[in-house]
Amino acid sequence: MSNFSAPSSYTEGARRGLADDTLQKNLQHLQNCYGRGAFEQWAGLADPDLRDKVKRRRMETLDNLDVVLSVLIDNVREKNGLVYCARTAEEAASYCLEVARKHSVKLVVKGKSMVSAEIGVDTLLQNEGIEVVETDLGEYIVQLRQEPPSHILGPSVHLNRRQVGRLFADKLGIEYSDDPPTLTKAARKALRHKLLHADMGITGCNIACAETGEISLVSNEGNIRMATTMPRVHVALMGLERVAATMEDHRDLLNLLTRAGALQKISTYISFNGGPSPVGDPDGPEEFHLVLIDNGRSKILADPEFREVLACIRCGACLNVCPVYGRIGGHAYKSIYSGPIGSVLTPLLYGINLHADLCKGESLCGACLDVCPVNNDLPRMLLALRNKLAYGDPGWQTTPHKPSEALAFKFWRMLVTKGARYRFALATCSLIQRPFIAENGMIAKLFGPAAAWTKDRDLPPLAKQSFRSRWQRRKKEQHSINGDEDDNGRGQ
Amino acid sequence: MAEVNDFIAHIRSALGFSLENPRDPVQFPALFSSADTDEVLDRISSRTREDKQQLVVQFREQAAPLKLNVHEAAEFAGAAKIIDDIIRESSPEFSEAKEIILHDHPDIAALSLSNTGDAQIVHHITSPTNTAAREQTIASYIGITAPSWGVADTATVLQVTKTGLPRSTSLVPSIHIGVLRLENMLADLIELYAVLKQNPPDSSYVFISGPSKTADIESQLVHGAHGPKEMHVVVVDVSPE
Repeated sequence: MSNFSAPSSYTEGARRGLADDTLQKNLQHLQNCYGRGAFEQWAGLADPDLRDKVKRRRMETLDNLDVVLSVLIDNVREKNGLVYCARTAEEAASYCLEVARKHSVKLVVKGKSMVSAEIGVDTLLQNEGIEVVETDLGEYIVQLRQEPPSHILGPSVHLNRRQVGRLFADKLGIEYSDDPPTLTKAARKALRHKLLHADMGITGCNIACAETGEISLVSNEGNIRMATTMPRVHVALMGLERVAATMEDHRDLLNLLTRAGALQKISTYISFNGGPSPVGDPDGPEEFHLVLIDNGRSKILADPEFREVLACIRCGACLNVCPVYGRIGGHAYKSIYSGPIGSVLTPLLYGINLHADLCKGESLCGACLDVCPVNNDLPRMLLALRNKLAYGDPGWQTTPHKPSEALAFKFWRMLVTKGARYRFALATCSLIQRPFIAENGMIAKLFGPAAAWTKDRDLPPLAKQSFRSRWQRRKKEQHSINGDEDDNGRGQ
Repeated sequence: MAEVNDFIAHIRSALGFSLENPRDPVQFPALFSSADTDEVLDRISSRTREDKQQLVVQFREQAAPLKLNVHEAAEFAGAAKIIDDIIRESSPEFSEAKEIILHDHPDIAALSLSNTGDAQIVHHITSPTNTAAREQTIASYIGITAPSWGVADTATVLQVTKTGLPRSTSLVPSIHIGVLRLENMLADLIELYAVLKQNPPDSSYVFISGPSKTADIESQLVHGAHGPKEMHVVVVDVSPE
């Protein structure tokens, strides 16, 4: 049984993450290495304008997505690939089940795919008695632990080698070891049989290319190639935005994708598949299915404020630089899409009110924008989400998140927009605060609704003297000392 | 069919265009236009043998950190000797018997490997008539292929699937050896994409840059995840002076 229980809230998840020493150590390493490394990659790009160029093309493609997708669909069909368009997660998952039933599938091997988790296909297949095995090492580890991935690229980043060692000793029956090469070898052996004998492979799609009618898959482990080579059927799941119009666009996107996420000039395998294998070949699928998935994306596409987020190529770089993700880890986000990208995408896909904490939890420091290979302005979109939470937006079925907060800010506006009121409030508060000031000179504990503020941090008290009165006093003092000279000086 | 049309219409309407009237791709030439590749193709074709040898030096440099072994051979006989040594010095990972699987490709045939190798070693060829090729590939610990192109800047080889050249030969065995002609060495991915545009493969293809690897346990790099744990590229100069 799984020891994992999803955190009840973002705050609880964050608290758990902060208390997890392994997570803290691993995230620090991740950010020091991959976060910094991504900036070094950008500094070393042969074409410094590449990211701007790619972003322009991404937006042109999204602005004409109907045209680009229809070309992709026609060209995949030209290669005898089968295309299914799913409006919802349920439709996409049901289609996978239908294909599995048609081919009497007993064993499915999966290549790492975020969208497969989004549509919940594993559970549906498993309920039908079909064995579903993740084959990316990190995904395999979290599948064995029955917990969700905590990073877009490194699903098991929250675990250390001893935890993996104990897991493999328990689940694979091997002798305990905490040596990564030994553990990798054990997984290689355990998964080889599955990969060679599975009936169906399910993968995602990194970047499809419309003009050639192909999907491309990026991997270092070779598991995705296995899952698309040995089974009789290959089903590729693709969020409708993951398409490049031309191979030139593909080339540029690939160049940015592998650098941003893994600091690699290129990953070990970039495979291009568009249809079934030629008849008579000893391997390759007899049937190739491309499942295009909307599941809320067309709604994002329709909103010019958020369309940009669909330019994302899921490299995970924003997680590697985010000061918030870097402390709380992926599980706190309560969504497969974590970090800055998750904080925009998750509310848009699953409900802004439901995931209100995500956009409020980010720091708006802008590191995610700086590192993003396609210059996605996530801070701008986080603010736009906060705006919807403050004022509500019927178009996004969003209601004001905390009316009491809105009321408090109304009151605040009333206070600060009139000088006299503001000064009175300052004077009153500096009196009221006195009993709350602790020995360290900070306010450590407040009551009522203000208690939440001091729960995790101290609040600096109001200064004994306001800047305004200090300024006036200083001016007065200076005037009394140098008054005449100043006057003379000005006159010259 | 209707379902696809509805899906596209829904996207069209999300973009603010008419729900009813499909937009014809022909009307959007800019969307599907790419930079002219003639110049790149000219550059490739005008490259001298010395230029290509220089690219091999670069390929080798890039290959080292990827743990991709690069060998250079004069003529197929030289390549055969290198491969023979690799076969002799390595041992199977998943079985006892030494079996190897070869692509049904003229450049692999030109190696005449079965003549130089140990009698104990069983050779299989992925010819279209070989109905046991799948099982033989699984049983083999070395797979030998002839990639179409090499790319110096990223230490990449392009492996194209064709009848007789299946996908699994470069993937399932523990060791992958690619036999690459010197004349097919390119400088960078820009050149590879230009070549692919000129001659689009009609089946699947893959860029391979080294043996399979993972860093999923505490970010420690380990070679040999699910694909080959060892990879060699033998660059053959088929017409040395």
